[in-house]
Amino acid sequence: MDLEHEILKNVHVAQNYFKVTLKMPPHSPVPRPGQFYQIWCSGSTDPLFRRPFSVHRFLQRGSSRHLEILYRVAGRGTDWLSKREKGEKLDILGPLGNGFIIEEGQEPIVLVSRGIGIAPLYAVGEEVRRKDKKRKIFFLIGARLKERIFYASDCKELGKVFIYTDDGSRGFHGRAPDLLAHLLKERKISQGVCLYACGPAEMLKELASLSTEFGFRGQVALEERMGCGFGACLACACPLDPKRIVKNSQWKKPSLHWSPDGNQVYALICKDGPVFDLNEVDWNEWTA
Amino acid sequence: MNGRPDLSVQIGKVSLKNPVMPASGTFGYAVEMVPYIEVNRLGAIMVKCVTLKPRLGSLPHRLAESPSGSVCTIGLQNVGFERFVKEKMPFLRELEPPLFVNIGAQSVEEFAELTSRLNKVEGIDALEINISCPNVKKGGIQFGVDPDSTYQVVKAIRQETDLTLVTKLTPNVTDITVIAKAAVSAETDAISLINSPLAMVIDIEKRRSRLGRNLTGGISGPAIRPIAVRLVWQVAQAVSVPVIGVGGITCAEDALQFIIAGASAVQIGAYNLIDPTCLIKTIDGIEAYLIRKKIGRLRDLIKSLEVS
Repeated sequence: MDLEHEILKNVHVAQNYFKVTLKMPPHSPVPRPGQFYQIWCSGSTDPLFRRPFSVHRFLQRGSSRHLEILYRVAGRGTDWLSKREKGEKLDILGPLGNGFIIEEGQEPIVLVSRGIGIAPLYAVGEEVRRKDKKRKIFFLIGARLKERIFYASDCKELGKVFIYTDDGSRGFHGRAPDLLAHLLKERKISQGVCLYACGPAEMLKELASLSTEFGFRGQVALEERMGCGFGACLACACPLDPKRIVKNSQWKKPSLHWSPDGNQVYALICKDGPVFDLNEVDWNEWTA
Repeated sequence: MNGRPDLSVQIGKVSLKNPVMPASGTFGYAVEMVPYIEVNRLGAIMVKCVTLKPRLGSLPHRLAESPSGSVCTIGLQNVGFERFVKEKMPFLRELEPPLFVNIGAQSVEEFAELTSRLNKVEGIDALEINISCPNVKKGGIQFGVDPDSTYQVVKAIRQETDLTLVTKLTPNVTDITVIAKAAVSAETDAISLINSPLAMVIDIEKRRSRLGRNLTGGISGPAIRPIAVRLVWQVAQAVSVPVIGVGGITCAEDALQFIIAGASAVQIGAYNLIDPTCLIKTIDGIEAYLIRKKIGRLRDLIKSLEVS
Protein backbone atom coordinates (compact mmCIF):
# COMPACT_ATOMS: atom_id res chain seq x y z
CA MET A 1 0.00 0.00 0.00
CA ASP A 2 1.70 3.19 -1.20
CA LEU A 3 0.27 6.13 0.70
CA GLU A 4 3.01 8.66 0.07
CA HIS A 5 2.14 11.48 -2.31
CA GLU A 6 4.40 14.34 -3.35
CA ILE A 7 3.37 17.91 -2.60
CA LEU A 8 3.55 20.05 -5.76
CA LYS A 9 2.29 23.24 -4.10
CA ASN A 10 0.98 24.32 -0.70
CA VAL A 11 -0.15 27.92 -0.84
CA HIS A 12 -1.85 30.46 1.39
CA VAL A 13 -5.19 31.48 -0.15
CA ALA A 14 -6.66 33.99 2.34
CA GLN A 15 -6.88 34.51 6.12
CA ASN A 16 -6.34 31.00 7.51
CA TYR A 17 -7.26 29.19 4.28
CA PHE A 18 -4.69 27.15 2.32
CA LYS A 19 -4.60 24.93 -0.74
CA VAL A 20 -2.33 21.93 -1.20
CA THR A 21 -1.76 20.22 -4.55
CA LEU A 22 -0.62 16.61 -4.59
CA LYS A 23 0.81 14.52 -7.39
CA MET A 24 -1.31 11.39 -7.72
CA PRO A 25 -0.20 8.10 -9.32
CA PRO A 26 -1.53 7.51 -12.87
CA HIS A 27 -3.78 4.64 -11.74
CA SER A 28 -5.35 6.51 -8.81
CA PRO A 29 -9.15 6.45 -8.77
CA VAL A 30 -10.94 9.63 -9.84
CA PRO A 31 -12.81 11.04 -6.83
CA ARG A 32 -16.38 12.35 -7.05
CA PRO A 33 -17.23 15.76 -5.56
CA GLY A 34 -18.08 15.18 -1.89
CA GLN A 35 -15.74 12.22 -1.41
CA PHE A 36 -12.86 12.69 1.01
CA TYR A 37 -9.27 11.74 1.77
CA GLN A 38 -7.83 10.90 5.18
CA ILE A 39 -4.55 12.79 5.52
CA TRP A 40 -2.00 12.03 8.22
CA CYS A 41 -1.35 15.49 9.64
CA SER A 42 1.60 14.85 11.91
CA GLY A 43 4.99 13.26 11.72
CA SER A 44 4.33 11.57 15.07
CA THR A 45 1.48 10.28 17.22
CA ASP A 46 0.43 13.78 18.23
CA PRO A 47 -2.01 14.78 16.83
CA LEU A 48 -3.01 11.14 16.62
CA PHE A 49 -5.73 10.70 14.00
CA ARG A 50 -5.73 11.43 10.30
CA ARG A 51 -7.87 14.39 9.27
CA PRO A 52 -10.64 14.04 6.68
CA PHE A 53 -10.58 16.56 3.80
CA SER A 54 -13.04 16.72 0.92
CA VAL A 55 -11.75 16.72 -2.62
CA HIS A 56 -11.63 20.25 -3.98
CA ARG A 57 -10.36 19.59 -7.51
CA PHE A 58 -8.94 16.62 -9.37
CA LEU A 59 -7.10 17.50 -12.55
CA GLN A 60 -6.16 15.07 -15.29
CA ARG A 61 -3.85 15.92 -18.14
CA GLY A 62 -2.61 12.94 -20.10
CA SER A 63 -1.28 10.50 -17.49
CA SER A 64 -0.65 13.18 -14.86
CA ARG A 65 -3.18 13.53 -12.07
CA HIS A 66 -3.27 16.27 -9.48
CA LEU A 67 -5.42 16.44 -6.36
CA GLU A 68 -6.22 19.80 -4.80
CA ILE A 69 -7.36 20.07 -1.18
CA LEU A 70 -8.64 23.43 0.03
CA TYR A 71 -8.46 23.64 3.82
CA ARG A 72 -8.73 25.90 6.82
CA VAL A 73 -6.13 25.91 9.57
CA ALA A 74 -8.34 25.09 12.54
CA GLY A 75 -6.01 23.32 14.94
CA ARG A 76 -2.66 21.61 15.33
CA GLY A 77 -3.20 19.05 12.54
CA THR A 78 -4.07 21.58 9.86
CA ASP A 79 -1.37 23.93 11.17
CA TRP A 80 1.18 21.14 10.63
CA LEU A 81 -0.24 20.59 7.13
CA SER A 82 0.05 24.29 6.25
CA LYS A 83 3.78 24.18 7.01
CA ARG A 84 4.57 21.35 4.55
CA GLU A 85 6.56 22.43 1.53
CA LYS A 86 6.85 21.53 -2.13
CA GLY A 87 8.67 18.23 -2.56
CA GLU A 88 7.66 16.82 0.84
CA LYS A 89 5.34 13.81 0.91
CA LEU A 90 1.93 13.31 2.48
CA ASP A 91 0.46 10.02 3.66
CA ILE A 92 -3.13 9.91 2.38
CA LEU A 93 -5.95 7.35 2.17
CA GLY A 94 -8.78 7.71 -0.30
CA PRO A 95 -10.97 8.61 -1.99
CA LEU A 96 -13.45 7.49 0.69
CA GLY A 97 -17.21 7.72 1.18
CA ASN A 98 -20.08 8.69 -1.11
CA GLY A 99 -20.07 11.73 -3.34
CA PHE A 100 -22.75 14.23 -4.31
CA ILE A 101 -25.17 13.05 -6.96
CA ILE A 102 -25.22 15.61 -9.74
CA GLU A 103 -28.89 15.86 -10.58
CA GLU A 104 -29.67 15.95 -14.32
CA GLY A 105 -32.28 18.42 -15.49
CA GLN A 106 -32.89 22.11 -15.89
CA GLU A 107 -33.41 23.25 -12.29
CA PRO A 108 -30.94 25.85 -11.11
CA ILE A 109 -28.11 24.52 -8.95
CA VAL A 110 -27.76 26.38 -5.64
CA LEU A 111 -24.52 25.86 -3.73
CA VAL A 112 -24.76 27.10 -0.13
CA SER A 113 -21.63 27.22 1.98
CA ARG A 114 -20.13 28.92 4.95
CA GLY A 115 -16.36 29.32 5.38
CA ILE A 116 -14.37 26.32 4.22
CA GLY A 117 -17.65 24.63 3.19
CA ILE A 118 -16.96 26.01 -0.29
CA ALA A 119 -14.21 23.38 -0.81
CA PRO A 120 -16.45 20.48 -1.94
CA LEU A 121 -19.20 22.74 -3.38
CA TYR A 122 -16.79 24.34 -5.84
CA ALA A 123 -16.14 20.78 -7.06
CA VAL A 124 -19.90 20.33 -7.58
CA GLY A 125 -20.04 23.63 -9.50
CA GLU A 126 -17.19 22.55 -11.77
CA GLU A 127 -18.79 19.19 -12.48
CA VAL A 128 -22.16 20.76 -13.28
CA ARG A 129 -20.46 23.23 -15.63
CA ARG A 130 -18.50 20.44 -17.35
CA LYS A 131 -21.72 18.59 -18.08
CA ASP A 132 -23.90 21.55 -19.00
CA LYS A 133 -22.55 24.90 -20.17
CA LYS A 134 -25.91 26.65 -19.81
CA ARG A 135 -27.29 25.46 -16.50
CA LYS A 136 -27.81 28.16 -13.90
CA ILE A 137 -25.45 27.92 -10.93
CA PHE A 138 -25.78 30.14 -7.85
CA PHE A 139 -23.20 30.29 -5.08
CA LEU A 140 -24.16 31.58 -1.64
CA ILE A 141 -20.90 32.10 0.21
CA GLY A 142 -20.33 33.78 3.51
CA ALA A 143 -18.77 34.05 6.90
CA ARG A 144 -18.97 35.97 10.15
CA LEU A 145 -17.27 39.08 8.72
CA LYS A 146 -15.98 40.36 5.38
CA GLU A 147 -12.31 39.53 6.02
CA ARG A 148 -13.26 35.85 6.05
CA ILE A 149 -14.88 35.92 2.61
CA PHE A 150 -12.74 34.17 0.02
CA TYR A 151 -13.06 32.33 -3.27
CA ALA A 152 -15.79 34.66 -4.58
CA SER A 153 -13.86 35.45 -7.78
CA ASP A 154 -13.17 31.77 -8.50
CA CYS A 155 -16.86 30.99 -8.05
CA LYS A 156 -17.86 33.85 -10.38
CA GLU A 157 -16.24 31.96 -13.25
CA LEU A 158 -18.76 29.17 -12.76
CA GLY A 159 -21.96 31.01 -11.82
CA LYS A 160 -23.60 33.90 -10.02
CA VAL A 161 -22.30 34.65 -6.53
CA PHE A 162 -24.26 36.02 -3.55
CA ILE A 163 -22.26 36.97 -0.48
CA TYR A 164 -23.53 37.16 3.10
CA THR A 165 -21.91 38.19 6.38
CA ASP A 166 -23.28 37.82 9.91
CA ASP A 167 -22.30 41.41 10.74
CA GLY A 168 -23.38 42.90 7.40
CA SER A 169 -19.86 44.12 6.60
CA ARG A 170 -20.18 42.73 3.07
CA GLY A 171 -23.15 41.60 0.99
CA PHE A 172 -26.37 40.42 2.60
CA HIS A 173 -26.63 41.11 6.33
CA GLY A 174 -27.52 37.76 7.87
CA ARG A 175 -26.89 34.06 7.59
CA ALA A 176 -27.10 31.67 4.64
CA PRO A 177 -30.65 30.39 5.26
CA ASP A 178 -31.90 34.00 5.61
CA LEU A 179 -30.25 34.92 2.32
CA LEU A 180 -31.64 31.87 0.53
CA ALA A 181 -35.17 32.56 1.81
CA HIS A 182 -34.83 36.17 0.66
CA LEU A 183 -33.64 35.19 -2.83
CA LEU A 184 -36.43 32.64 -3.26
CA LYS A 185 -39.13 35.05 -2.04
CA GLU A 186 -37.85 37.85 -4.27
CA ARG A 187 -37.67 35.39 -7.18
CA LYS A 188 -34.01 36.23 -7.70
CA ILE A 189 -33.62 32.47 -7.74
CA SER A 190 -36.58 30.63 -9.25
CA GLN A 191 -38.20 28.05 -6.96
CA GLY A 192 -37.70 24.33 -7.53
CA VAL A 193 -33.93 24.34 -7.20
CA CYS A 194 -31.37 21.59 -6.52
CA LEU A 195 -29.55 22.59 -3.37
CA TYR A 196 -26.08 21.44 -2.28
CA ALA A 197 -24.76 22.60 1.06
CA CYS A 198 -21.73 22.34 3.32
CA GLY A 199 -21.14 24.20 6.55
CA PRO A 200 -22.02 24.15 10.26
CA ALA A 201 -24.70 21.67 11.36
CA GLU A 202 -27.00 24.48 12.56
CA MET A 203 -26.95 26.06 9.08
CA LEU A 204 -27.77 22.73 7.44
CA LYS A 205 -30.60 22.15 9.89
CA GLU A 206 -32.16 25.51 8.96
CA LEU A 207 -31.77 24.76 5.25
CA ALA A 208 -33.69 21.53 5.84
CA SER A 209 -36.64 23.47 7.32
CA LEU A 210 -36.50 25.89 4.38
CA SER A 211 -36.69 22.99 1.95
CA THR A 212 -40.04 22.00 3.44
CA GLU A 213 -41.30 25.58 3.25
CA PHE A 214 -40.17 26.18 -0.34
CA GLY A 215 -40.28 22.61 -1.64
CA PHE A 216 -36.79 22.05 -2.97
CA ARG A 217 -34.50 19.02 -2.90
CA GLY A 218 -31.02 19.08 -1.40
CA GLN A 219 -27.84 17.24 -0.50
CA VAL A 220 -25.44 18.05 2.31
CA ALA A 221 -21.86 17.09 3.16
CA LEU A 222 -21.45 16.50 6.90
CA GLU A 223 -18.35 17.00 8.97
CA GLU A 224 -17.34 14.96 12.02
CA ARG A 225 -14.24 13.75 13.81
CA MET A 226 -13.23 10.41 12.38
CA GLY A 227 -11.15 7.57 13.72
CA CYS A 228 -10.43 5.48 10.65
CA GLY A 229 -12.52 6.73 7.70
CA PHE A 230 -13.18 3.20 6.45
CA GLY A 231 -15.91 1.82 8.69
CA ALA A 232 -13.88 -0.05 11.30
CA CYS A 233 -14.21 2.10 14.43
CA LEU A 234 -17.86 3.28 14.30
CA ALA A 235 -16.92 6.66 15.77
CA CYS A 236 -18.64 8.84 13.15
CA ALA A 237 -22.22 7.65 13.70
CA CYS A 238 -24.95 10.03 12.53
CA PRO A 239 -28.66 9.64 13.33
CA LEU A 240 -31.00 9.45 10.32
CA ASP A 241 -34.77 9.72 10.14
CA PRO A 242 -35.87 6.07 9.64
CA LYS A 243 -38.75 7.15 7.39
CA ARG A 244 -36.69 9.29 5.03
CA ILE A 245 -33.61 7.23 4.24
CA VAL A 246 -32.39 7.64 0.66
CA LYS A 247 -30.71 4.61 -0.93
CA ASN A 248 -29.80 4.27 -4.59
CA SER A 249 -27.08 2.87 -6.86
CA GLN A 250 -24.60 5.52 -5.70
CA TRP A 251 -25.64 5.74 -2.06
CA LYS A 252 -25.71 2.10 -1.00
CA LYS A 253 -25.43 2.86 2.72
CA PRO A 254 -23.77 -0.42 3.71
CA SER A 255 -23.29 0.52 7.37
CA LEU A 256 -26.77 1.52 8.55
CA HIS A 257 -27.35 0.32 12.08
CA TRP A 258 -30.87 -0.02 13.51
CA SER A 259 -32.12 -0.10 17.09
CA PRO A 260 -33.85 -3.40 17.95
CA ASP A 261 -37.29 -1.69 17.80
CA GLY A 262 -36.57 -0.15 14.38
CA ASN A 263 -37.31 3.38 15.58
CA GLN A 264 -33.74 4.66 15.44
CA VAL A 265 -31.05 4.31 12.84
CA TYR A 266 -27.41 5.41 12.72
CA ALA A 267 -25.35 5.81 9.57
CA LEU A 268 -21.58 6.00 9.46
CA ILE A 269 -20.49 9.29 7.96
CA CYS A 270 -17.36 7.70 6.47
CA LYS A 271 -19.13 4.82 4.69
CA ASP A 272 -22.77 5.91 4.27
CA GLY A 273 -21.86 9.61 3.82
CA PRO A 274 -20.33 12.13 4.15
CA VAL A 275 -22.99 13.27 1.66
CA PHE A 276 -26.61 12.78 2.73
CA ASP A 277 -30.00 13.88 1.51
CA LEU A 278 -30.95 17.16 3.20
CA ASN A 279 -34.02 15.61 4.77
CA GLU A 280 -32.80 12.19 5.84
CA VAL A 281 -30.57 13.46 8.66
CA ASP A 282 -32.23 13.63 12.09
CA TRP A 283 -31.16 17.22 12.63
CA ASN A 284 -32.53 17.54 16.16
CA GLU A 285 -30.46 14.59 17.34
CA TRP A 286 -27.42 15.60 15.31
CA THR A 287 -27.31 19.12 16.74
CA ALA A 288 -28.36 18.17 20.30
CA MET B 1 21.07 -19.47 15.19
CA ASN B 2 19.73 -21.36 12.21
CA GLY B 3 16.82 -20.11 10.15
CA ARG B 4 14.20 -17.63 11.20
CA PRO B 5 13.20 -17.16 14.84
CA ASP B 6 10.13 -18.94 16.15
CA LEU B 7 7.44 -16.34 16.86
CA SER B 8 4.72 -18.80 17.88
CA VAL B 9 2.95 -18.53 21.22
CA GLN B 10 0.22 -20.46 23.00
CA ILE B 11 -2.93 -18.88 24.48
CA GLY B 12 -4.99 -21.61 26.18
CA LYS B 13 -5.74 -24.22 23.51
CA VAL B 14 -4.98 -21.81 20.68
CA SER B 15 -1.62 -21.75 18.90
CA LEU B 16 -0.67 -18.41 17.36
CA LYS B 17 2.02 -18.30 14.65
CA ASN B 18 3.03 -14.88 15.96
CA PRO B 19 1.95 -12.80 18.99
CA VAL B 20 0.25 -9.92 17.14
CA MET B 21 -3.52 -9.38 16.86
CA PRO B 22 -5.84 -6.39 16.66
CA ALA B 23 -7.70 -5.09 19.70
CA SER B 24 -11.47 -5.50 19.64
CA GLY B 25 -13.35 -2.58 18.14
CA THR B 26 -10.49 -1.30 16.00
CA PHE B 27 -10.63 -3.93 13.28
CA GLY B 28 -14.37 -4.10 12.52
CA TYR B 29 -15.28 -7.64 11.48
CA ALA B 30 -11.95 -7.95 9.58
CA VAL B 31 -13.65 -7.50 6.18
CA GLU B 32 -13.24 -3.72 6.49
CA MET B 33 -9.45 -4.14 6.76
CA VAL B 34 -8.88 -6.40 3.74
CA PRO B 35 -8.18 -3.51 1.33
CA TYR B 36 -5.36 -2.35 3.58
CA ILE B 37 -3.54 -5.35 5.05
CA GLU B 38 -2.75 -9.02 4.54
CA VAL B 39 -5.07 -10.29 7.26
CA ASN B 40 -3.77 -13.86 7.05
CA ARG B 41 -0.36 -12.80 8.35
CA LEU B 42 -1.79 -11.97 11.79
CA GLY B 43 -1.29 -14.14 14.85
CA ALA B 44 -5.04 -14.01 15.47
CA ILE B 45 -8.15 -12.10 14.43
CA MET B 46 -10.14 -10.22 17.06
CA VAL B 47 -13.54 -8.86 16.11
CA LYS B 48 -15.80 -6.14 17.45
CA CYS B 49 -17.68 -7.00 20.65
CA VAL B 50 -20.76 -9.15 20.06
CA THR B 51 -23.81 -8.94 22.31
CA LEU B 52 -26.92 -11.15 22.37
CA LYS B 53 -29.18 -8.43 20.91
CA PRO B 54 -28.09 -5.66 18.51
CA ARG B 55 -26.96 -2.46 20.22
CA LEU B 56 -27.29 1.02 18.76
CA GLY B 57 -24.38 2.25 20.86
CA SER B 58 -23.57 5.71 22.18
CA LEU B 59 -25.14 8.97 21.05
CA PRO B 60 -23.40 10.92 18.28
CA HIS B 61 -20.16 12.76 18.75
CA ARG B 62 -18.28 9.74 19.92
CA LEU B 63 -14.67 10.74 19.43
CA ALA B 64 -12.34 13.38 20.82
CA GLU B 65 -8.59 13.68 20.67
CA SER B 66 -6.09 14.27 23.44
CA PRO B 67 -2.29 14.39 23.20
CA SER B 68 -1.28 11.07 21.56
CA GLY B 69 -4.67 9.78 22.63
CA SER B 70 -8.18 9.02 21.53
CA VAL B 71 -11.06 9.52 23.94
CA CYS B 72 -14.06 7.71 22.54
CA THR B 73 -17.35 6.08 23.35
CA ILE B 74 -18.88 3.67 20.87
CA GLY B 75 -21.05 1.98 23.50
CA LEU B 76 -20.68 -1.50 22.01
CA GLN B 77 -22.62 -0.70 18.84
CA ASN B 78 -22.88 -4.08 17.11
CA VAL B 79 -25.19 -6.17 14.96
CA GLY B 80 -26.01 -8.71 17.69
CA PHE B 81 -25.47 -12.48 17.81
CA GLU B 82 -27.82 -13.56 15.02
CA ARG B 83 -26.58 -11.19 12.34
CA PHE B 84 -23.00 -11.74 13.46
CA VAL B 85 -23.30 -15.45 12.77
CA LYS B 86 -25.29 -15.03 9.55
CA GLU B 87 -23.50 -12.07 7.99
CA LYS B 88 -20.00 -11.90 9.46
CA MET B 89 -18.99 -15.50 10.26
CA PRO B 90 -18.94 -16.82 6.64
CA PHE B 91 -16.12 -14.38 5.79
CA LEU B 92 -14.31 -14.83 9.13
CA ARG B 93 -14.37 -18.63 8.79
CA GLU B 94 -12.35 -18.38 5.57
CA LEU B 95 -9.47 -16.57 7.25
CA GLU B 96 -6.41 -18.56 8.32
CA PRO B 97 -5.56 -17.08 11.76
CA PRO B 98 -7.47 -18.29 14.82
CA LEU B 99 -10.61 -16.28 15.51
CA PHE B 100 -11.13 -14.54 18.85
CA VAL B 101 -14.62 -13.14 19.46
CA ASN B 102 -15.02 -10.38 22.03
CA ILE B 103 -18.29 -10.75 23.97
CA GLY B 104 -20.30 -8.36 26.13
CA ALA B 105 -23.49 -8.60 28.19
CA GLN B 106 -25.34 -6.80 30.94
CA SER B 107 -25.94 -9.74 33.26
CA VAL B 108 -24.33 -13.05 34.20
CA GLU B 109 -27.28 -14.91 32.65
CA GLU B 110 -26.94 -13.01 29.40
CA PHE B 111 -23.20 -13.80 29.25
CA ALA B 112 -24.02 -17.49 29.77
CA GLU B 113 -26.76 -17.46 27.12
CA LEU B 114 -24.52 -15.74 24.56
CA THR B 115 -21.68 -18.16 25.28
CA SER B 116 -23.91 -21.19 24.95
CA ARG B 117 -25.00 -19.95 21.51
CA LEU B 118 -21.51 -19.02 20.32
CA ASN B 119 -20.26 -22.40 21.52
CA LYS B 120 -22.33 -24.04 18.78
CA VAL B 121 -20.97 -21.78 16.03
CA GLU B 122 -18.28 -23.38 13.89
CA GLY B 123 -15.03 -21.49 13.36
CA ILE B 124 -14.56 -19.69 16.68
CA ASP B 125 -11.36 -20.47 18.58
CA ALA B 126 -11.56 -18.24 21.63
CA LEU B 127 -13.78 -15.79 23.45
CA GLU B 128 -12.53 -12.55 24.97
CA ILE B 129 -14.81 -11.60 27.85
CA ASN B 130 -15.42 -7.87 27.96
CA ILE B 131 -16.12 -7.10 31.60
CA SER B 132 -14.36 -3.78 31.24
CA CYS B 133 -16.03 -1.53 28.67
CA PRO B 134 -15.89 1.97 30.20
CA ASN B 135 -18.91 3.11 28.18
CA VAL B 136 -21.54 0.56 29.14
CA LYS B 137 -22.68 0.30 32.72
CA LYS B 138 -24.61 -2.36 34.54
CA GLY B 139 -26.42 -0.67 37.39
CA GLY B 140 -23.67 1.92 37.44
CA ILE B 141 -20.87 -0.59 38.02
CA GLN B 142 -18.96 -2.75 35.58
CA PHE B 143 -18.39 -6.41 36.36
CA GLY B 144 -14.66 -5.90 36.02
CA VAL B 145 -14.26 -3.56 38.97
CA ASP B 146 -15.36 -6.19 41.47
CA PRO B 147 -13.61 -9.56 42.05
CA ASP B 148 -16.83 -11.41 42.97
CA SER B 149 -18.73 -10.25 39.86
CA THR B 150 -15.67 -11.07 37.76
CA TYR B 151 -15.58 -14.57 39.21
CA GLN B 152 -19.32 -15.10 38.64
CA VAL B 153 -19.23 -13.96 35.02
CA VAL B 154 -16.16 -16.00 34.07
CA LYS B 155 -17.43 -19.07 35.92
CA ALA B 156 -20.83 -18.89 34.21
CA ILE B 157 -19.14 -18.63 30.81
CA ARG B 158 -16.72 -21.46 31.63
CA GLN B 159 -19.64 -23.76 32.41
CA GLU B 160 -21.01 -23.18 28.91
CA THR B 161 -17.89 -23.75 26.84
CA ASP B 162 -14.52 -25.44 26.45
CA LEU B 163 -13.35 -22.69 24.10
CA THR B 164 -10.27 -20.77 25.16
CA LEU B 165 -11.33 -17.88 27.40
CA VAL B 166 -9.52 -14.58 27.68
CA THR B 167 -10.78 -12.13 30.31
CA LYS B 168 -10.22 -8.47 29.45
CA LEU B 169 -9.61 -6.25 32.46
CA THR B 170 -10.26 -2.61 33.17
CA PRO B 171 -7.54 -0.40 34.66
CA ASN B 172 -10.24 1.56 36.54
CA VAL B 173 -9.59 -0.38 39.78
CA THR B 174 -7.46 -0.02 42.88
CA ASP B 175 -5.62 -3.33 42.56
CA ILE B 176 -5.87 -5.06 39.21
CA THR B 177 -4.14 -8.24 40.45
CA VAL B 178 -7.13 -9.02 42.69
CA ILE B 179 -9.43 -9.00 39.66
CA ALA B 180 -6.94 -11.03 37.59
CA LYS B 181 -6.75 -13.69 40.29
CA ALA B 182 -10.56 -13.85 40.52
CA ALA B 183 -10.75 -14.50 36.77
CA VAL B 184 -8.07 -17.19 36.99
CA SER B 185 -9.82 -18.96 39.85
CA ALA B 186 -12.95 -19.05 37.66
CA GLU B 187 -10.77 -20.83 35.07
CA THR B 188 -10.06 -18.19 32.45
CA ASP B 189 -7.27 -19.41 30.15
CA ALA B 190 -5.69 -16.00 29.76
CA ILE B 191 -5.96 -12.35 30.78
CA SER B 192 -5.89 -9.39 28.42
CA LEU B 193 -5.29 -5.84 29.58
CA ILE B 194 -5.84 -2.98 29.56
CA ASN B 195 -9.24 -1.84 28.36
CA SER B 196 -9.40 1.95 28.16
CA PRO B 197 -9.22 4.16 31.27
CA LEU B 198 -12.29 6.37 31.68
CA ALA B 199 -11.54 9.91 30.54
CA MET B 200 -13.00 13.30 29.62
CA VAL B 201 -12.14 16.24 27.33
CA ILE B 202 -13.87 19.60 27.69
CA ASP B 203 -14.47 22.29 25.06
CA ILE B 204 -13.91 25.44 27.15
CA GLU B 205 -15.65 27.74 24.60
CA LYS B 206 -18.92 25.82 24.78
CA ARG B 207 -18.35 24.51 28.32
CA ARG B 208 -19.44 21.11 27.05
CA SER B 209 -17.78 17.73 26.90
CA ARG B 210 -16.18 17.06 23.52
CA LEU B 211 -18.19 13.83 23.61
CA GLY B 212 -21.45 15.82 23.81
CA ARG B 213 -24.18 14.20 25.86
CA ASN B 214 -22.03 11.10 26.39
CA LEU B 215 -19.77 13.20 28.66
CA THR B 216 -17.06 10.56 29.17
CA GLY B 217 -15.23 7.96 27.10
CA GLY B 218 -12.33 5.57 27.25
CA ILE B 219 -8.86 6.83 26.43
CA SER B 220 -6.64 4.78 24.17
CA GLY B 221 -3.54 5.40 22.08
CA PRO B 222 0.13 5.98 22.96
CA ALA B 223 -0.86 8.28 25.86
CA ILE B 224 -1.81 5.24 27.98
CA ARG B 225 1.05 2.92 26.99
CA PRO B 226 3.30 3.32 30.07
CA ILE B 227 0.32 2.67 32.36
CA ALA B 228 -0.59 -0.44 30.37
CA VAL B 229 2.99 -1.76 30.45
CA ARG B 230 3.10 -1.33 34.23
CA LEU B 231 -0.25 -3.12 34.72
CA VAL B 232 0.76 -6.00 32.43
CA TRP B 233 3.96 -6.38 34.42
CA GLN B 234 1.98 -6.45 37.71
CA VAL B 235 -0.56 -8.99 36.45
CA ALA B 236 2.12 -11.21 34.92
CA GLN B 237 3.74 -11.41 38.37
CA ALA B 238 0.44 -12.30 40.03
CA VAL B 239 -0.99 -15.03 37.77
CA SER B 240 0.41 -18.01 35.91
CA VAL B 241 -1.89 -17.94 32.86
CA PRO B 242 -0.78 -16.14 29.67
CA VAL B 243 -1.27 -12.39 29.54
CA ILE B 244 -2.15 -10.43 26.39
CA GLY B 245 -0.89 -6.85 26.49
CA VAL B 246 -2.81 -3.97 24.95
CA GLY B 247 -2.61 -0.20 25.25
CA GLY B 248 -1.09 2.35 22.89
CA ILE B 249 1.07 0.01 20.82
CA THR B 250 2.12 1.47 17.45
CA CYS B 251 5.15 -0.62 16.47
CA ALA B 252 7.44 -3.52 17.37
CA GLU B 253 9.41 -1.48 19.90
CA ASP B 254 6.19 -0.74 21.80
CA ALA B 255 5.02 -4.36 21.58
CA LEU B 256 8.37 -5.67 22.86
CA GLN B 257 8.00 -3.64 26.07
CA PHE B 258 4.79 -5.55 26.81
CA ILE B 259 6.37 -8.91 25.95
CA ILE B 260 9.38 -8.29 28.17
CA ALA B 261 7.00 -7.14 30.95
CA GLY B 262 5.21 -10.49 30.74
CA ALA B 263 2.80 -10.52 27.81
CA SER B 264 2.64 -13.67 25.67
CA ALA B 265 0.82 -11.79 22.94
CA VAL B 266 -0.12 -8.20 22.11
CA GLN B 267 -3.08 -6.35 20.63
CA ILE B 268 -2.91 -3.14 18.62
CA GLY B 269 -5.94 -0.87 18.93
CA ALA B 270 -6.22 2.81 18.11
CA TYR B 271 -3.19 2.84 15.81
CA ASN B 272 -4.89 0.42 13.35
CA LEU B 273 -7.22 3.28 12.54
CA ILE B 274 -4.35 5.55 11.54
CA ASP B 275 -1.97 3.08 9.92
CA PRO B 276 -3.72 -0.22 9.16
CA THR B 277 -0.37 -1.74 8.15
CA CYS B 278 1.07 -1.30 11.67
CA LEU B 279 0.10 -4.86 12.65
CA ILE B 280 2.23 -6.32 9.87
CA LYS B 281 5.10 -3.91 10.53
CA THR B 282 4.99 -4.95 14.19
CA ILE B 283 5.27 -8.67 13.32
CA ASP B 284 8.23 -7.95 11.03
CA GLY B 285 9.84 -5.69 13.61
CA ILE B 286 9.59 -8.29 16.39
CA GLU B 287 11.23 -10.84 14.11
CA ALA B 288 14.03 -8.39 13.25
CA TYR B 289 14.60 -7.72 16.97
CA LEU B 290 14.89 -11.45 17.75
CA ILE B 291 17.40 -11.88 14.92
CA ARG B 292 19.42 -8.89 16.12
CA LYS B 293 19.38 -10.17 19.72
CA LYS B 294 20.08 -13.75 18.57
CA ILE B 295 17.00 -15.05 20.38
CA GLY B 296 15.66 -18.19 18.68
CA ARG B 297 12.22 -18.29 20.22
CA LEU B 298 9.91 -15.43 21.17
CA ARG B 299 8.75 -17.52 24.13
CA ASP B 300 12.18 -17.01 25.70
CA LEU B 301 11.68 -13.25 25.70
CA ILE B 302 8.33 -13.28 27.51
CA LYS B 303 8.56 -11.99 31.08
CA SER B 304 12.30 -11.48 30.79
CA LEU B 305 12.51 -8.11 32.54
CA GLU B 306 15.78 -7.67 34.41
CA VAL B 307 14.98 -6.19 37.81
CA SER B 308 18.29 -6.23 39.62
